[in-house]
Amino acid sequence: MAMTWLMLTIGLPWLGALVIWLVGDRDEKFTHLLAVAFSVAAGGAALLLLPYGKERLLFAIPMGGVFGDFTFVVDGLGVFLAAIATVVGSLAVIFSVDYMHGEQQLARYYAFVLFFIGGMAGLVLTSNLLLMFFFWEITALCSYALISFHNDDPKAVAGGIKALIITQFGGIGLLAGALLLYAYTGSNDFQPLLENPAIVPAGVLAWMGFGCLIAAAAKSAQFPFQTWLPDAMEAPTPISALIHAATMVNAGVYLLARFYPAFAIVPGWREAVMICGILSALLAAMMAMVATDLKRVLAYSTVSQLGFMVYAVGAGGVFASQFHLLSHSVFKALLFLAAGAVIHSIGTRDMRQMGGLGQHMPLTRAVFIVGGLALAGIPIFNGFWSKELILEAGLHGNPLWLYGLMVLVAGLTAFYTVRMIAMVFYGEARTGLHVHDAGSAMKVALLPLAIGSLTTWLLAGPFGHLLAESLPAHHLEVHSTWAMVEEVIAAPATYLALGVVAIGLLAGWQRKRLIPLGQALGGVSKAAAESFGFEAINRGVVIATQKLAEALRVTQPGLLNWNVFAIVCALLILLASLAVGGR
Amino acid sequence: MEAGLAFLLVVALPLLGAPLIYLIGRLVERKQAGVNPSRWVALVVLLAAFVPFSLVAQMLFTQGMVISFSLGVIRLQMDGVGALLAGLVLVLGNLVTLFSGPYLSKEEHQEKFYALLSMMIGGMIGLGCTSDLFNLWVWFELMAIASYPLVSFHRHSPAVLEAGVKYLVQSAVGSAFVLIGIALVFGQTGSLAFAGIRANAPLTPVMLAAGALFLIGFGVKAALVPLHTWLPDAHSQAPSGISAMLSGVVIEAGLIALLRALGALFAVSDLWGVFLLGFAALNMLLGNLMALRQTQVKRLLAFSSLSHMGYILLGIGCAFAFGASNAAAGGFFHILTHGLMKGLAFLAAGALLYALYLANGKHQPLMVEDLDGAANRYPLAAFGLSVALLGLGGIPPLAGFMSKWQIFVGGFETRQTWAIVLVIFAALNSVLSLAYYAPLINRMYRHHPSTTIQTGQPVSVWMNAVLIVLTVGVVILGFWPSLAGWLTQPAAQSLLAALGG
Repeated sequence: MAMTWLMLTIGLPWLGALVIWLVGDRDEKFTHLLAVAFSVAAGGAALLLLPYGKERLLFAIPMGGVFGDFTFVVDGLGVFLAAIATVVGSLAVIFSVDYMHGEQQLARYYAFVLFFIGGMAGLVLTSNLLLMFFFWEITALCSYALISFHNDDPKAVAGGIKALIITQFGGIGLLAGALLLYAYTGSNDFQPLLENPAIVPAGVLAWMGFGCLIAAAAKSAQFPFQTWLPDAMEAPTPISALIHAATMVNAGVYLLARFYPAFAIVPGWREAVMICGILSALLAAMMAMVATDLKRVLAYSTVSQLGFMVYAVGAGGVFASQFHLLSHSVFKALLFLAAGAVIHSIGTRDMRQMGGLGQHMPLTRAVFIVGGLALAGIPIFNGFWSKELILEAGLHGNPLWLYGLMVLVAGLTAFYTVRMIAMVFYGEARTGLHVHDAGSAMKVALLPLAIGSLTTWLLAGPFGHLLAESLPAHHLEVHSTWAMVEEVIAAPATYLALGVVAIGLLAGWQRKRLIPLGQALGGVSKAAAESFGFEAINRGVVIATQKLAEALRVTQPGLLNWNVFAIVCALLILLASLAVGGR
Repeated sequence: MEAGLAFLLVVALPLLGAPLIYLIGRLVERKQAGVNPSRWVALVVLLAAFVPFSLVAQMLFTQGMVISFSLGVIRLQMDGVGALLAGLVLVLGNLVTLFSGPYLSKEEHQEKFYALLSMMIGGMIGLGCTSDLFNLWVWFELMAIASYPLVSFHRHSPAVLEAGVKYLVQSAVGSAFVLIGIALVFGQTGSLAFAGIRANAPLTPVMLAAGALFLIGFGVKAALVPLHTWLPDAHSQAPSGISAMLSGVVIEAGLIALLRALGALFAVSDLWGVFLLGFAALNMLLGNLMALRQTQVKRLLAFSSLSHMGYILLGIGCAFAFGASNAAAGGFFHILTHGLMKGLAFLAAGALLYALYLANGKHQPLMVEDLDGAANRYPLAAFGLSVALLGLGGIPPLAGFMSKWQIFVGGFETRQTWAIVLVIFAALNSVLSLAYYAPLINRMYRHHPSTTIQTGQPVSVWMNAVLIVLTVGVVILGFWPSLAGWLTQPAAQSLLAALGG
C-alpha cells in the first residue's frame, strides 16, 4: 500500500498538470475544479502515506548505467515534508480559485503549480541523489515559470530569471556533491553515505559538504544568496505562500538536515552552517524592519526564519529545525495568504498606502494576527515552542554570544511583526479605496492554517518519534509532547527570550517614539534597504558578463580574410604546442 | 536480407535517390507548373532507408555481427559510431523533409533542394562507415558540397549569399588542410587504412603535424572555436530545415570524421585529448557569451550550437585524454539529444519564420521581439520552442539534462582535477545559457502579441506534426535516458576500441 500512496503523492499532481494543460483555458470554472480536485487528492495520498514513515521502506525502479536505480524511500523526514507540500499546496490552490479569478492562461498557472507539488514531493521522498537533483531542478523551473507568470510585466520576468539563475548557480553545489558520490562510490544512492561517511575520502567529503551547503543556501535564500527571494514576490501571492514560504525554500533546510550525519564530521562544516544561518537571520530581520512592501517584509521574514532552521541544523538540533519548519510552513503560508487577501482587495503592496483595514477585513485581520503571534514566538502558538527548542539547541556546546544574537533576532522579529500588523490593519485609513474581506475560497484556505498555527505544536511528540525511528543515522533524541512542554517551561532561557520578545513587541507598538533612535542608526537602515550591498554585487556580475559578451563581438568581424587568418593562426598555435609539448 | 546487402542499401538509397528525386521533380514540374512531388519522392526514399537500417542495427547490436561491404580497396564498415550517426541522420532527415514541404511551398527549384538534401544524408551515412582516410575525405567532401547550395538556397538575398561564400571558402581551407595531412600520413606510413596507420604510426614530427592538420581541417566543419566564424551566418541564413540539419548532424558528422582521423594517430601524441578539452572550454564560453548579445532568433540558436559542441567535446575529450567510457557515452548521447533539441528549436523557429515572414512574401530574419505573444496564435510552435530551449539549458525532465549528466559523471569519474574543473565550468556555462534561453520563453507567453504575430499566417499541419514528434522525443528521453543506451554505449565502446582500448 505504501508504494501506491507514494506513487499517488507524486503522480497525481503530475497527472493533474498534464490533464489541465491538455484541457486548456476553455472553461475557467472547470480548470479551477480540476486543480482543486487533483491537489486535494494528492494531499490525501500524502496523509495516507504518513503512517508508513516509521518503517523506512525502499522502492526502486532500475534504470542502469550512470543513472543508477531510481530509488524512493519512505521515512519520517520525507513523508512529513511531502505532506506539507501537498496539504499547503492544496490550500494555496483553493485560495487561488478566488485570487486568480478572471486571469488569463490559468491552465499554465495550475499546470505549473501541480507540477511543482509533485516535484517537491519527489524531492523529499527519493534516496537517489541524481533523482533528488532532478526534482530540485524541476522545482526551480516551476518557481521561475510561476514568478514570471505575468510575462508582460518586466519586473516579474526579471524576478523569475534572477531566481532561476541564482538557484541554478547554487545547484551546481548539489550537482558536484552528486557527481562526487557517484565517482567515489559507484552509485547514486546516498543511504550508504549517511550510515558510513568514511566510504568517501575525507577531502572529497568536505567538497561534497560545502557544495551541498552552497546549494542549500541558494535554494533557501540564505546569505549570501538572499537577493532572489524579495524579487520573487512579483509572483501571484498564492505562489509566494506555497513555493517561497512553505515548500521550495525548505528544500535547502531539508538537504542540510538529510545529510547532517554525513557532513557533521567535516571540520568547519557545522560552524559554516551556523554562521550562514545566523547571518541570514540577523540581516534579513534588519531588512524586514525597514521594508515598506508587505510581501517583502514577509519574504525577509522567511529568510530570517529559515536562518533559524539552518542555524539549528548546524548546532546539531535537527529535530528542532524540522519542528520549526513545520510551524513556519503553517504560519508563514497563513501570513502570505492573508496578505494576498489584503493585496487582492486593495490593489497595492505598499504598506504606507494601507492602514485601518482591520475595520473592513475583520477575518483577515484576525488570522493575520494569529500568524503574526506565531511568527513572533508568543505562547501558545506553534512558533513559540519550535523557536524555543531551536534557541535551546544552540546553547549546547556553543559560545553564549551566539545564543544572545539569536535571542536579539527573536526580538527584532517581534518588532517588525507588530510594525507590519499596525501599518496594515490599524491606525488611520490612508486611502479611500474600496476594501472587502476575503472571499469564500480564501476563507476555506485561511482557517485551517490559522487553526494549525495554534495546534501543530501538539504533534511534537509523535513527530519526534517518527523522525527518530526512521532516521537511525541521525541519532535523534526526542521526547513526548508533554515532556517538551515541561522542558520549555522549566528552562530559564525561555523567559529570557520571552522578555526580549516582549521588548520587541513594545518597541513595535511604540515605534513612533523610537524615530530618533532610527535616525541615529540611519546608516544601518539605508544599508538594510540596499540589502547590505548584495544587490550591488548582483548588478555588478550582470554588467560584467554583458560587457565581456560585448567585447567578444570582435571575434565575429564578418570579414572572410580575418576568418581564414584565424584558422591559420589556430593551426600554427597547435603546431607550436606540439613542438613544445612533444609527445 | 543478408548483412552486406542491407548495409549497402542504407548507404546507397539516399545517394541513388538524389538523381531520382531531381528528375521526377523536374519532369513533373515541366508538365504541370506549380506541382512538385520531389518532396514526396524524397520522403519515400528516406523512409525506405529505415528498413535496411533497422536490420543492420539489429544484426550489429543484438547479434554482434561484423557488418562490412567492400568495393575493390574501399571497405565500409558499420560500427557503433556509424550506427548512431546513421540513425540520427535518418530521423532528422525524414522530419526535415516533411517540414520543408510547406516551408518551401513558395520557392522555385524545390527538386534541387530535396535532391541535395538526400545526397547530403547519404554522404553523412557513408562518412560514419569508412575505414580509410581518403575515403573519409571523399564522403566528407560529398556532404560538404551538397550542403553549400543548401545553405545559400534563398539565393536572391545578399546576406544568404555572403553566408554561403564564407562557409564555402572556410570549409575549403579546412579540406585543403585535411588533404595535406592525409598526404603526410601516407608518406610516413605507406597506408591509408585506419588499422594500418594505427599499426605503423612512427612517432615523428611529421605525424604530429598531420594530426594538427586533421584537427584544424576537420575542426572547421565541426565548428571548433576559433574556426567557427562561418557558423553563425550559415546556420541563420539557411532555410530552417537545413539549419536544423546543419546544427543537428552536419557539425557532429564533422566531429566524427575528426575522431576517426585523430583516432588513427592516437598513439602519436598524448596531447590530442588536451587539445579537445581546450577547444571544449573555448566553445562553451564563446558560444554562450556571444548568444547573450543576439537579437535574431536563428543567430542565437547558431551560437548556442557552438556551446553545445563544447559539451560534446568535453565528453569526447575526456575519452581521449583519460579513457573515460561514461564520458564518451555521454558525448554521444549529447550528440543525439542535441540533434533532437536543436532540430526542434530550429524547426519551431522556422515554423514561426514561415508564418510571420515567408508566407507573407517577406525574406527577413526572425527577431527576438517578433516572438512576443506567439503562444496565443501558435501554441504548438511556442511550446515546441520552449521545450527545446529548456532542454538545451539542461532543465529536467528533458533530454538535455540527462545527456549533460552523463558527460559530467564521466568527467568526475576520471578523478582528475582538470576534468573536474572543466565539468564545473560546463555546469556554470549551462546556468549562463539560461540567461538567454529563458527570456525567449517569457516573451512567447505574453498576452500582448507583437505586430508581426498579429499579421502572421497559420502554420501547416505537417510542420506541427513534426514539432510534436520531436517534442515527445525530447521529453521521453528526459524521463527514460536509458532508452538511448542501445545506441550510445556501443558508440562509446567503438570509440574507445579505436583509441586502443
